[in-house]
This record gives sequence, structure tokens and C-alpha cells, in this order.
Amino acid sequence: MDFSLSDEQQLLKDSVDKYMLERYSSEQRRGYMNAEAGFSTAVWSDFAELGWLTVPLPEALGGYGGSVVDTSLLMEAFGRAAVVEPYLGTVLLGAQLLSGGNNATLQARYLEEILSGQCQAAFAYLERRSRHQLTAIDSRAERQGEGFVLNGSKSLVLNGMAADVILVTAWLEDALALFAVPADSAGLSREAFQLMDGQAVANLRFDQLTLATDSLVCEPADSLALIQRVIDEATIAVAAQGLGAMETLLKATVEYSNTRKQFGQPIGKFQALQHRMVDMYTATQQCRSLLVRALCSHSAGEPQAAMDIAALKSMVGKLGRSVAEEAVQLHGGMGVTEELSVGDYLKRLMVIDSLFGDSAWQRRRFAELRYGDVA
Amino acid sequence: MHATFSPEELAFRDEVRVFLRDNFDEQLAARIHNPKTFKTATIEWQKKRYDKGWVAPGWPVEHGGCGWTDTQKYIFDSALAEVGAPDVPPFGLKMVGPVIYTFGNDEQKQRFLPGILTGDTWWCQGYSEPGAGSDLAGLQTRAERDGDDYIINGTKIWTTYAQYADWIFALVRTDNSGKPQQGISFLLIDMRTPGITVSPIIAIDGEHHLNEVSFDNVRVPVANRIGEENQGWTYAKALLSHERTALSGIAYCKQVLSKVRRFAAEENDDGSRLLDDPVFQARMADIEMELMALEYTELRVLATVAQGGAPGMESSLLKLKGTELQQAAQSLQFDVAGLYGSVLPTEHEVGHAFGDRSRREYMYGRACTIYGGSNEVQKNIIAKFGLGL
Ligand SMILES: Cc1cc2nc3c(=O)[nH]c(=O)nc-3n(C[C@H](O)[C@H](O)[C@H](O)COP(=O)(O)OP(=O)(O)OC[C@H]3O[C@@H](n4cnc5c(N)ncnc54)[C@H](O)[C@@H]3O)c2cc1C
Repeated sequence: MDFSLSDEQQLLKDSVDKYMLERYSSEQRRGYMNAEAGFSTAVWSDFAELGWLTVPLPEALGGYGGSVVDTSLLMEAFGRAAVVEPYLGTVLLGAQLLSGGNNATLQARYLEEILSGQCQAAFAYLERRSRHQLTAIDSRAERQGEGFVLNGSKSLVLNGMAADVILVTAWLEDALALFAVPADSAGLSREAFQLMDGQAVANLRFDQLTLATDSLVCEPADSLALIQRVIDEATIAVAAQGLGAMETLLKATVEYSNTRKQFGQPIGKFQALQHRMVDMYTATQQCRSLLVRALCSHSAGEPQAAMDIAALKSMVGKLGRSVAEEAVQLHGGMGVTEELSVGDYLKRLMVIDSLFGDSAWQRRRFAELRYGDVA
Repeated sequence: MHATFSPEELAFRDEVRVFLRDNFDEQLAARIHNPKTFKTATIEWQKKRYDKGWVAPGWPVEHGGCGWTDTQKYIFDSALAEVGAPDVPPFGLKMVGPVIYTFGNDEQKQRFLPGILTGDTWWCQGYSEPGAGSDLAGLQTRAERDGDDYIINGTKIWTTYAQYADWIFALVRTDNSGKPQQGISFLLIDMRTPGITVSPIIAIDGEHHLNEVSFDNVRVPVANRIGEENQGWTYAKALLSHERTALSGIAYCKQVLSKVRRFAAEENDDGSRLLDDPVFQARMADIEMELMALEYTELRVLATVAQGGAPGMESSLLKLKGTELQQAAQSLQFDVAGLYGSVLPTEHEVGHAFGDRSRREYMYGRACTIYGGSNEVQKNIIAKFGLGL
């Protein structure tokens, strides 16, 4: 048993930590967030140059051939710095779906450009009332001549505004099909929104949108399995991102408590507060253990991986929020201002909880997997 | 021991409901919630209550209070909650008003109480300072005597709605020689006095509620001092227990829960309802049962006060538990909104007013366990004065 990082992994970790230290202070981050796209295109080019966009893709498709351990390393560092660039939407969802499919034409058309930072992608799968249910959708495609016509809508698509290609789920006959929709398609309309953590999202409408023959990412019969696999890996990475945010908050709170004085002493000297920070520390360690556990079982392809992922996401969702709430509380009035970043991390952790099934939803999933066959 | 309403009380309840039906509607509620119209709409709402004689339930009748029993106050608050009507701002009516009629002189009463009742004077509270939060007695804003004036220098922070205020009631240091609690005086200061600067602080809900208020050689007549010089701490402490009792927010909590309940009862596309989910039920039930208990805790405290007792650490208990429940209800409300709770508003329609409100209330709600004396400080008070630890 060995939970340590390989030399390559350590190198990757060091490089991303170094970059964040130099280029991602909280003032810089706010500047990136307020840019027109909702993130910095210069930072995105750096990510490309540093090779981070290629990490999860197989070597055969021009990638680095990394694993979910590697993407989790990256995302954890992104979480520590509250990065706003759309790594999740473009790489972990968009590129991963394309690469996991079997459509070489689409792969040739988009992957190289995505990996070099020239092309943005998004995955549009939730609708107004889906509540994380992949199949609770109304969007529908019909065959027309050689191609398809698409009608329907999608809600709050991560990176949906900047995306040049959008991967869209829709019913095709009785199967859930996955289409690659170019963002300049006639019949696509997009409305931009921002999530409270700064991420840009979009609502999409497809109105008699015509698609070419080669727009299916994979055989419709295979798409649900592909999507589930990609979402599973993205869920682990997003949980790692949450963990990174939790660690930043713990560190910031301990530092603040050691400097802020009331009643003639640092507030960190009050045992009532010390115990609260110990609870934050314990929560963070528990989440790290679940992350390691999910990484191990998922990497080994063990059947219990699904359960481990549900446990991980449920606990990071719940404990991430409570760690952030505690961080606000222990900062007193300063914690509820925009002057400090504590609130930004709280918002990020709230959004992370709501992605891919919130804490309660993942707990239900865990219980179904764990106790389902008993009933 | 009984908790039923008499026929008179039931008649009073009907009267309150009729008043609310005629004077409070969705439109007014929306304007109060909109930061751009907040001030005018809030004053408008206060004036309606003033015209009816129902603006100051807690005040003695001789000063313009309603002369209600505790049961009537309870009925009134519950009726407000039923229609989602907010209370009027506490700074005048619940905070400085009682200090003025209890410790002020006749001239001060005549001068300040009417504006507090009508809503024509907007007050803010200048206690906290950058270096004096939980340790309020450590405040350093100085007031030096110069003839018939004090000259004030220093900085107050976290001053809620100072940007709207006509007057500020402030704790200032008039003597440095003794214990920190001694040497503090309670002053009423006109916000238009030269030397006062109000700078906004943006909160994590993205709104401007808070301010820093700095005083640079600000002249305040000695006649604006409440009570004795150096005795301000005593007056402020009396007020704090009123403030904390008012912060329990039970009526607000009920409002949130009834919204949540309505929303959770809507059907999803597949015909399921969140309200039928046992986990959701368990979570909501836990909050409601605690709230039921707290409601009676409050009534018991009020009953003691009515019999001449003073609310001591009970006001800490109400503040502590009440704010915890507010946050629990706000979290639940946010979760019910799902991902829509995270979406920031645009000029276009988000399609989810409930989500937007949920987010804002959750975010700003993080502050309720911090202001009015943080919950940690309340626990210290209960431990020390209540349990003798
Ligand atoms: C939204 C909002 C509105 C406000 N409005 C006003 C207003 O209108 N007027 C006004 O005067 N003030 C106002 N305040 C200020 C409020 O009263 C202070 O924020 C509060 O007293 C805490 O002080 P602080 O922010 O300096 O935190 P600190 O005192 O620095 O506290 C930081 C943390 O340390 C904890 N702590 C401190 N001492 C102890 C101890 N002895 N034992 C255990 N834990 C301890 C606190 O509980 C907190 O968690 C407002 C604050 C907020 C957030």
C-alpha cells in the first residue's frame, strides 16, 4: 500500500503550485473573473503551454495520458486558488466525452484545438427540472435526410457561453444520444449567466437546429455509459477542487485567529475557537481520505468505486459548506465582506456542492448502492 | 397554564389580518426587498403602522407604545409572518428609542421620540470599531470636552444603513483612566455634522448594507449626551438585551419555512415532490420542532418580563438559538432552490426569483450569528452568568 505521489505527479503538483503562487493571488483572480469571458484567456494560454489541458487525454489523441489522480492534483490546486478558468467544462467534460467516444472525425476536428487552448467546449445535459437525473430531459433529435434536427433547451451549462463546441444530450428514438453541436449553428440561442462563484454559464435553446451526419459522439446505445464514466471522473476531480478550497479556508482561518486580537489576546487563544478549527481540520482530513479511497478504487476499476465516489462527493458537499461557514464565522464581520476571499471560497464550495448531485442526492445514491439489494 | 386565545384575542387577530390585507401587498414587499427602493418603501410601511397606532408594540403607552399584552404582540408578529411582512428597522424603535425614554431627559424625549415613531428620522448604531468587535468595551473613539461641545475623533465600522441615516447613536470614550467599561458615554450625533465620512463596505451578498463611519473633529453638543458622562456602558447594556431578544427572528424563520414548504410541495416533472422525500422531511421537521420550542421559550421569557423580571441570559439564549435556526432555514431554502440558487441576477429574467432570494438570504444570513454580539460571546455569557462556570 502506497498513497504517495509518483515523481511525475510530484512534478505536476509543484508546477501548478508554483504557477498559482505567482499568477493567482486573490486580486489577480478578481481581475480574471471580471474579464468579458468570465476568465482570463491569457491564463488559459498558460494552462495550454504548461501542458495541463492535455493531462487526461490518451497519448494516441495527443494527450499526456494521465489518470484521474493527475486531474485531481490539478483541480485540488485550482480549488486552493479558487481558479475561474473553465477546466471542468472544456477539458474534464468536453474533451473527455469526445475522446471517450468513437467518432474520429469529431476528434480530429476539435481535440487538437482544445488541447492547444484554441477551442472551448461544454457539456449540456441538464434541463429545467432534471435535478441531476441524466435521463430526465425533453430535448429531442429527429433524423432528417443524412443528418438530424434538434429541438429543446438546456439549463445553466458550465462554460456554455465561451464554448465553440457543445456536447448535447437529446432523445433520438428511444436512446439518449450525444451530439457535438458547433456553437455557430443556426437555431442555437444562448443566454449568459454568472454563478455566484464567478463561473460563466449559459441557458441554451435549440430551435430546428440541423446537424450533420457525423455529429454523434458515439453510438446512441453507448452514450449513457460514456457520460456516466466521464461524470464519475469529473466528480472526483471536482471533489478534489472542493478539498483544495477547504484547505485554503482552514489555513486562512488559523492565520487570522493568530493575528486578530480581542480582549487583549489573539482570538486563536480561546479554546472554544481552537476546537472549532480542529473540527475544520478533521473534516478536511476525512475528505482527503475519501478522495484517496475513491482514487484507488476508481483507478483499479473496482466495482465499489461508484459507492466511494458517492461518499466522497456527499461528504465534500456537506463538510465543505460547513468548513466555509465556520471560516466566515471565525472571521467575524470581516468574514461577511467582499474585502476578504473567505466569502468567495464559501460561494465556490456551495456551487461545488450543487454540481453532479448535492450532498443529499449523493447520500441517497450511496444508500441505493450500498443497501439497494437488501430491500 | 393555558395557551388558548380568548374571544377578544381572536377578534384582535382578525383586526390585524384585515389591516395587513388592506395595507400590505406583494408590491410593497417587493419594493422593500429591492435595494433601490428599500428606504422609501420601508418608511412607507412604517408610516402605515404608525397611522394605525401599531408601530411600537414594546413601548410604554405614554411614549406612543401600543399597550399590548404579550399575547397580542405574539399574535401581531405571527400575522406579519403569515403574509411575509417584514418588521420595521430596529435601530430607532427597538434600540435607541427605549434608551431615550428610559435614560434621556424630557427635552431629548420630546425632540427624538416622535421622529422614531413616524419613521421620519432614520437611525444607525455606532458601537463597533475596527479594534473593538466582540470586545466592545475596548472602543477608542474619543470625545473631548470643549465648552458646550464634545469633539469626536475615531472610526466606527459595520454600521448598518449608515448611508441612509439622519442620526447615529454612538458609544464614545470620555475617560481613559479606569476599567474599559468605565469612561464610555452615549451620544446622539446628527449625521450631517461636518467631519463625518461614510464609506461603503460591500457584503458577501454583493449588496451595500454596511459602512465605515469616520469622525474627524466632529462637534457634538453636550446636550446630545444621554444620561451621565462615563455611564454610557450601563445604558448600552440595558439596550443590548432588548436588541438580542429582538434578534431571535422567530417570525422571519416561520416565513422562510412556509415559503420552503410551498416550494417543496410543487411537483417535479416526474410527479414526485420534494416534500414527500423522507430525508427532506426529517431535515425540515428538525428545524420546525426546534422553532416550536423556541417560540415557547420566547413566550416564557416575555411572561417573566411581564411579571417584572429582567431578561438576562435568556436574551442570549434567544439570540443564540434563533440565529442558528435562521441559518438552518436559510440553508434549507437554498438547497430547495437547487442550482438556481447559485445564479446571479441579470437584467434579463433569471426565471427563478425564489433562487435569487434564497442565495441572498443565505449569504447575508451568515452574519446573524456574528452581529448583536457573536454567538460565541453569547455562549460565554450563558456559561458565566447562567451556569456559574
Ligand atoms: C451584518 C452586520 C451588521 C452589523 N451592524 C452593526 C451596526 O449597525 N452597528 C454596530 O455597532 N455594529 C454592527 N455590527 C458589528 C458586530 O456587532 C460585530 O461584528 C461583532 O460584535 C463581532 O465583532 P468582530 O466583527 O470584530 O469580530 P471579532 O470580535 O474579531 O470576532 C472574531 C471571531 O472570534 C470570536 N470571539 C471573539 N471573542 C471571543 C471569546 N472571548 N470567546 C470565543 N470566541 C470569541 C467571535 O465570536 C468571532 O467568531 C454588524 C456586524 C455585521 C456582520
